[in-house]
Amino acid sequence: MNSPPPIRVYLFTWLALIGLLAATFTLAHFRLGAFNTAVGLAIAAAKVALVGLFFMHLRRATALIAIFAVATLFWLSILFGLSGTDYATRRITTAPWTTPDGH
Amino acid sequence: MNARVVPVDVPWRRETASLGMWVFLATEVMFFGVLFLAYMHARIVDPQGFAAASRLTHEWLGTINTGVLLTSSLTMALAVRNGWAGHRRLVIRLLWATAVLGLAFIVIKGIEYGLEWRDGLVPVLNFTYSGAHRRAVETFFFLYFLMTGVHAIHLTIGVILVAWLAIRDRDPARPVRRRESAECIGLYWHFVDSIWIVLYPLIYLVDLYR
Repeated sequence: MNSPPPIRVYLFTWLALIGLLAATFTLAHFRLGAFNTAVGLAIAAAKVALVGLFFMHLRRATALIAIFAVATLFWLSILFGLSGTDYATRRITTAPWTTPDGH
Repeated sequence: MNARVVPVDVPWRRETASLGMWVFLATEVMFFGVLFLAYMHARIVDPQGFAAASRLTHEWLGTINTGVLLTSSLTMALAVRNGWAGHRRLVIRLLWATAVLGLAFIVIKGIEYGLEWRDGLVPVLNFTYSGAHRRAVETFFFLYFLMTGVHAIHLTIGVILVAWLAIRDRDPARPVRRRESAECIGLYWHFVDSIWIVLYPLIYLVDLYR
């Protein structure tokens, strides 16, 4: 933790990020069906992981900071998980006085 | 507080500052999280509408802007890294490079907003789109302006903080080695970059293959 990481770590991270940007932009032009969104989000997650690990120094962080970073994702998964089950298992019924398009 | 008498190399001070920043960023993730959740819900309700809306965005400007922001994260990370190594002049140059790249992002985003205003895609103020899936397209652009707007505000704050750091670092009496301020502003900058990284495919890449 006392000596700074070598500069090449940052340069390689940046090269990987730009490479992933080119990859996601290129892949978005191919018809992959449902995988278009999945690939886009997976590449975005990989980019965020690179930024977190090497630019934000999570790779060298203390256990406490690493726990807080992971806890952030945990709370986010609760937000999406619980709200997601709510939306997935309920349907909107129109009340008698709503306009024909349901709003 | 006089920086000359405060011992800056106390490890716990640095760790406390970083931890505090991570807690703040966790609240920021929840703040942006609900907006992403709203996007997810609206997109599931009308996927074709969101695809149609995404085709109306300017994917080249968005892609260039992503590259600009990723590069600004490199210069920011290198500024923090070289502060760690004690290279003051290099730190100042890298901080200015970061601020300029951040400004470039905001300018490109402004050009994009201008094009969307011209095309009548701004909900409430100037929305003239009348094709299929009108309601979903309006929802998409409402979320688009809300999320990119809040992101741009965050980035503007980041540019101001980075410029402040660069100006302050000219004072040779101030130590540049491992300062909490630089590390915390660096974490904030990378967080703002990360939000954009996730926004990018959701805005521009939904339906490019058509």
